[in-house]
Amino acid sequence: MLQPINVSLESLNLITLAPMLVAIAGGLIILVLDLINSKLHKTLYVMLTLLILFIDFGAVLGLNVNERGFFDVMLIDGVSIISQLMIIVASMLFIPLSLTSKRFHEYSYPEFFALFLFMIAGFQFMVTSDNLILIFVGLETASLALYTLIALHNRSNSFEAAVKYFTMGALSAGFYAMGSAVIYGLTGSIELYKVAAVLSLRMDEASIMIAIFGASVLLLTAFAFKLSLFPFHTWAPDVYEGASAPLAGYMSVVPKVAAFVVSIRIFGMYIDLGIEWVRIIILVLAVGTMTLANIMALVQEDVKRMLAYSSISHAGFIMAALALDTTEGTTAIFLYYALFMFTNLGAFAMLWISRHKVRRFSDRYDNPYEKFAGLINIMPMGAVIMALFMLSLAGVPPFSVFWGKIYVMQAAVNSGYVWLAIVMGLNSAIAAYYYLKLIVFMFLKEPVKSVDTVYYNLSKPLMAVIGLATVATIGAIFYIQPLISYIYYMISASGY
Amino acid sequence: METLVYIALFAPFVSSMFAALFGMSPRKTFVGIVASLLLLISFAASVMLMMHIYATGTGIHVRMMDWISAGDLSIPFGFLVDQVSVTMMVVVTLVSTVVHVYSIGYMDHDKSFNRFFSYLSAFVFSMMILVMSDNFAGLFIGWEGVGVCSWLLIGFWYHKADVTREENPSISPSWAANEAFIMNRIADLGMLVGLFIVYWNVGSLQYDAVFSALPHLSGTVLNAAALALFIGAMGKSAQFPLHTWLTDAMEGPTPVSALIHAATMVTAGVFLVIRANPLFSVTPEVSYFIAALGTFVAFFAASMALVNRDLKRIIAFSTLSQLGYMFAAAGLGAYWIALFHLAAHAFFKALLFLGAGNVMHAMNDELDIFKMGGLKKTMKWTYLYMGVASLALAGIPFFAGFFSKDAIIETAYNEGTLVLWAILVVTAGMTAFYSFRQVFLTFEGDERYKAFGIHPHEMYKFVLVAMSPLGILAVIAGFGKGSFEHFVTKLLPEYHMSEHTHHIAWLLGLIVLAFAVSGIVLAYKKYAKKLVRDEKVENSFIYKLLANQYYIPKLYEEFISKPYAMISEHMWKDVDMKIVDATVDGIAKFLYKSGDGARKMQSGNLSNYLNWMAVGAVLLLVVAAFSAMLG
Repeated sequence: MLQPINVSLESLNLITLAPMLVAIAGGLIILVLDLINSKLHKTLYVMLTLLILFIDFGAVLGLNVNERGFFDVMLIDGVSIISQLMIIVASMLFIPLSLTSKRFHEYSYPEFFALFLFMIAGFQFMVTSDNLILIFVGLETASLALYTLIALHNRSNSFEAAVKYFTMGALSAGFYAMGSAVIYGLTGSIELYKVAAVLSLRMDEASIMIAIFGASVLLLTAFAFKLSLFPFHTWAPDVYEGASAPLAGYMSVVPKVAAFVVSIRIFGMYIDLGIEWVRIIILVLAVGTMTLANIMALVQEDVKRMLAYSSISHAGFIMAALALDTTEGTTAIFLYYALFMFTNLGAFAMLWISRHKVRRFSDRYDNPYEKFAGLINIMPMGAVIMALFMLSLAGVPPFSVFWGKIYVMQAAVNSGYVWLAIVMGLNSAIAAYYYLKLIVFMFLKEPVKSVDTVYYNLSKPLMAVIGLATVATIGAIFYIQPLISYIYYMISASGY
Repeated sequence: METLVYIALFAPFVSSMFAALFGMSPRKTFVGIVASLLLLISFAASVMLMMHIYATGTGIHVRMMDWISAGDLSIPFGFLVDQVSVTMMVVVTLVSTVVHVYSIGYMDHDKSFNRFFSYLSAFVFSMMILVMSDNFAGLFIGWEGVGVCSWLLIGFWYHKADVTREENPSISPSWAANEAFIMNRIADLGMLVGLFIVYWNVGSLQYDAVFSALPHLSGTVLNAAALALFIGAMGKSAQFPLHTWLTDAMEGPTPVSALIHAATMVTAGVFLVIRANPLFSVTPEVSYFIAALGTFVAFFAASMALVNRDLKRIIAFSTLSQLGYMFAAAGLGAYWIALFHLAAHAFFKALLFLGAGNVMHAMNDELDIFKMGGLKKTMKWTYLYMGVASLALAGIPFFAGFFSKDAIIETAYNEGTLVLWAILVVTAGMTAFYSFRQVFLTFEGDERYKAFGIHPHEMYKFVLVAMSPLGILAVIAGFGKGSFEHFVTKLLPEYHMSEHTHHIAWLLGLIVLAFAVSGIVLAYKKYAKKLVRDEKVENSFIYKLLANQYYIPKLYEEFISKPYAMISEHMWKDVDMKIVDATVDGIAKFLYKSGDGARKMQSGNLSNYLNWMAVGAVLLLVVAAFSAMLG
């Protein structure tokens, strides 16, 4: 006869689940509301989502560092808290962007907001666990929701993007599942800390090394896809182009933060175990990504595609910090994304302002460079703000991304990778070209067509979000030091 | 006392900032008045400081704040008010106060009136920093500051177009401003090298530290430092061969010429030599070179003044010549005499320039003295001022110039450098001739201006009154010689004539006087009645040589400016465009091409993308395998 399972409620430590539960419950409430009254305006859902995110944020702040819960599958450490905070802040910036002056298909569905909250819950699960299965569940929850959000934009290339992303995501999920299976086969565990313990005992066996080999390459392929690293990045430009501009900006930050957290847990473990070639392939991926994405960004004719490639290049930059596997390097990852988040979301939001129902400037692209020609005459403030974002992305001091870049380089030099810092510097120089190209178009060229339509989609909430992003971009010099201290403290507290 | 130091220093700064507030607005008379009052305050503070130092005999040393401290280098913002600097302060603030008041009248019709006062006061502030600093770095800041202000003021009428050298020897105000600035920058490089030598060997730029360390330095180092510093002085004081800018600087408004290019800035070089006298006294070879060069310039400049027809340029040449006298005295070790001549010269030369300004004002900016004559009827006061100033310049007893210049010539005899003495005596005669040639051509004789339809008129009353302090000083300044010597030799080395010189001093003085008087008499005979032009003389080689300034400006243009422009053009077209630019463009093109190539990966075809993922996984395996095997 089976013994009834007897678990005390205290040992579950349910508080660790609170943030995700808030998000999920919020999503359900929205669905129920829609059932009761289907005529509600989207602003209600936007505000409701913001409210839920606020509660979620508070729940994360309330967590204690370095606790486990729910049969020890939940792991609340500094990394997970920082990444959750970043995910929520980015989401709070993203959601008001739906309050445009023009109506768009996706925002008229309450499901959009529900799916969005489910996606956040998925990301939160991903970053608060070192259990390979829970990570997988979180990853797929988030990804499936994301595919749908892209498709909801309701244009032919949005569907195309969603399908491409979904298909390739399925392949990468396969890689992930197989890699995890190999690890389970080797160690009999799917908890990373147990895996590390077992592996460290059997490091000298030649046969086990071959298995580790396979497992790590499979897992790395899966995450390289999520992080859009070369040569697994091919989906990114098409998907960014198909998605709405805010969602593209969101995708360049939030899913990557989550994927980086998991990568830190898995590959950091390998490097800690002394498996040096993992570090080398990560470095190869990082250098290849930042260089090739940069070079491809040079030849783009569309600003959104250029920003897509630039996001890929930035991801390569940050990937290099992962290879360092030092506290400083890990701090650099989060610092970079915390700064990049505002600037990049701001830049995509500027594209969102100029979104039209039909393509006016080119048959192929929504945002060709020509569209921004002479913006300084049409919309001086907008041109200056966009130029600020571009300068920041190019790493011009004292704007925000500069500090991220300099910190990553410093971390590289401190770990003895001077050549890496030089490669980063050269890449930043190349990148300046395509960022400045947009500035040249905005400031030095004459407008191509009639002047009335560029700020088509502008509204107060959008201005507020862009203003916030601008302040964060310009004011970086004032908050950079406390930010670094906080992140460094949280990272070192969780032992990375 | 410290407060007085700051008042003296910063009143001109406040004045400059105040005037700058109205820089863009139309003429406002009160801007000029406020600026003049602030300068007067600065002057009063300087005089009080002088009386204090005269009474106590010790200088005031204040340290305002730390300015640069990096590693071992520590340069404070410190100010030293002692016998030498306070003399300079009084001279500078007195002349600039007069010039400020004068400018209210002179710049009356200029629409950039307010801007002018802002620049003028900024100049005074820089000059005060220059003379008051207690270290070489501060001196250099002031040095560059006066350079910039001089550039701004020479080019004050920057809107005037360039003309040919035949039409106007200085081409245009902006050209002249650039020439002055570039010439000075060349010399400043020498000065900087001197500062580096000093810092490298002493480890400090403070005057007291540097001078106390001199005995420990080798002769080569001392000579190098002294020579390099003197090159800086040559630029600022327009000594040969860097002298051409000074006459061209006359393109600026006349008050600027009076203040900057006669009384104050150009004496900065002499001040530097006097200030650094401990250094120059231990380098006799360099000092002798200074004296010789000074004597040469005194003669050289006077010779060019003999034939010039431009009122302001004649005075500019005489400034050059008198600076030569000062350097001669300083080079021979008579530092206090050099300083005395500097002060006396400042008074009568500023007066002379301001008088010339009056004439210009009356003559609708006409400067050719051949077109003037007989102005004494309408411009009595100006005639008096310029006459007094010229008497002082010519060294007629008992005007200011007599005492100071005579002392310099006496020094040359006393040192046994008879060649220098002879040249200086001859030059004194030439000085008397050209000054009175100018005075007589302007004020006496037939009224040639009538042919040009000009109706001269006297300057405003308040301007004439404002000039009176300078007029009085030009007459009486010489009588202060004894107490001045007593005052400054507390700091500067004393200089005494030998017994022998002392005995025949009356004879030496008489010789000089004879030359001076005969110069005046000659000028009177030739020019006082009316202008008789002698074609034969004017076409002679020597006359042409002098009138064209020994063809030196032309020489510079042909052998320095033009080849330099040619080399620049070559560097630009051949080196920069074909090598540097081509390399950079090549890299950019290569990157762009590879971007185009890599684009093929982005086909938009999903199957291709999936293939790429598989290829990527295999590639990762290969890289991992390689690194595992090699590692």
